[in-house]
Amino acid sequence: MNRILQVAFFTYRELIRSNILIVLIVSILAIGSLSFLLSLLSYGDSLKIFTDLGLAGAELAGWMVLLLGLAVTYNTEMDQKAIFLQLAKPVTRGEYLMGRVLGFFAVNLLVVLGNALFLAVMVLAVGGSLPPYFAVSVIFMALEMLVLTFLGLTYQMIATTMVRVVLYTFFTVLLGRMIGEIQWLIEKQSAPFLKGVLTVVYYCLPNLQVFDLKDRIYDPTLVVGFTQWQEVLLYSFSYSAVVFLIGWISLERREFR
Amino acid sequence: MAQPVLPPAIRFENLSKTYKTGFWFKPKLTPALKSLTLDVHSHQAFGLLGLNGAGKTTTLKVLLGFVYPDAGRVEILGGRISDRRVRAQIGYLSELPYFSKQHSGRELLSYFGALHGLSGKALAARVDEVLELVRMTKPAGERLAGYSKGMLQRIGIGQALIGKPKLLICDEPMSGLDPVGYKEMRDIFLDLKKAGTTLFLNTHILDEVERVCDRIGIMHEGVLRDVAPIAQVLASKVPVDYWIDVDKSQAGKLAKTPFQASIKAHGGFQIHGNQLNPTLAKLQSKRVKIGAVRPLASVVEAYFLKTIGMTAKFDPAKGAA
Repeated sequence: MNRILQVAFFTYRELIRSNILIVLIVSILAIGSLSFLLSLLSYGDSLKIFTDLGLAGAELAGWMVLLLGLAVTYNTEMDQKAIFLQLAKPVTRGEYLMGRVLGFFAVNLLVVLGNALFLAVMVLAVGGSLPPYFAVSVIFMALEMLVLTFLGLTYQMIATTMVRVVLYTFFTVLLGRMIGEIQWLIEKQSAPFLKGVLTVVYYCLPNLQVFDLKDRIYDPTLVVGFTQWQEVLLYSFSYSAVVFLIGWISLERREFR
Repeated sequence: MAQPVLPPAIRFENLSKTYKTGFWFKPKLTPALKSLTLDVHSHQAFGLLGLNGAGKTTTLKVLLGFVYPDAGRVEILGGRISDRRVRAQIGYLSELPYFSKQHSGRELLSYFGALHGLSGKALAARVDEVLELVRMTKPAGERLAGYSKGMLQRIGIGQALIGKPKLLICDEPMSGLDPVGYKEMRDIFLDLKKAGTTLFLNTHILDEVERVCDRIGIMHEGVLRDVAPIAQVLASKVPVDYWIDVDKSQAGKLAKTPFQASIKAHGGFQIHGNQLNPTLAKLQSKRVKIGAVRPLASVVEAYFLKTIGMTAKFDPAKGAA
């Protein structure tokens, strides 16, 4: 466990000290300010619009930092072979992968929480109040980042170029957001083969809609009960565990020429 | 009383590796290792020599578990590299090591020390000790981004030594070092050897091999051509070619000899080692002023070249060796 934490802290420090830190600060300021400006210019309840945009921005910043971090560290670890010296130490490949994931997740968590905190302060500063499920939607967003971090790092262990890692992660995020549309396609599909293929795709992709609470936090009928919590937590951890296993096996089998 | 026979630190048995590149249905096969069998004795320094592409780095990668052999097996410190306890006793320095540039030298060594299970005061003390050993105490707090190639190489050897390894494996350890760094690195190796550490050096700097290694192995085109104690190599009396510097104005004194044309063109000529003394006598008899007599290769170099079927040649563009 100590070795996992060492790798995690090393990764976290590497990411925080790289240009990602600038992205983090700029994203918090830019997204927050832009959301505020757009909410003032739009019709309707500007505070609601500000909160909506701010949360969407926090999610976007999390994705951006993940993609950027994957690209930067692929170059260091795989292309420049910094991974060699670490894997020659008494650390297993599974520990290394888990450490990397935790380091990335810590940075992502900082981005999402930083953005959410900035948003909350702004809302309270203009005399508004936060919707009841604001904190819950931020926690769900963090869980989404956990799942995506496991996926991104697994792609990093499988893919042979940095571009592939970024593309795989980007399209997974995109398709994961479109899971409802894929479900609709399955229902409409009559050809058994295509239906089967789409069903496999549906179950392989992360269902990111499970985590999407931000669009509904002003819905007065919204209730997040124990069952939904259970479902979201179970889904995030079981999906992450399966992805981690795939990443671990891939890393164990991978040759570093 | 007879000395107890120590098990080899590394044992390669019929190791073969072929790289596959290109499309899966029409792969290009590149054999990198062909039936490598070799024992590296404990408490000795072993130098693996070879030209670029000879299979040296593949040997190290198989040894460290970075690539998997197609056939054969490797035993390292009596176990397998996949065993964490085995890796805890190994130090490894890759060729031109690359580190995340966001950390300082001290932070990097602390990280690698922590991976070896060190913590707290023991870790801090060991980091200080290693920084001192590799002469990096002063810039230890600076980020690696500001380090020169030689400083990175020193930090590289530092991370390899942080866990007090029983076996140190280095791939081209002298790369990027200036003459002082080169000497310091050599001294570190000699001290480690004296302390009982087994060294496995992958190199093509033959001078380093001669001064540090007890045994050498010569690889060529994926095949281990020869393994010999360095003392045997040095005593082998492999003939070495020489280059004799002669001023161009002296060429007239050597008319009708095979050297005249070379003297006129390059200011000297090359001769085989066994012809050195008669040739020098001949030059003296003709009152030819000799500038210098230089061997074109060291004994180890000549042995190496002979083993792989090559000879040292004078390159007029570069001058004599």
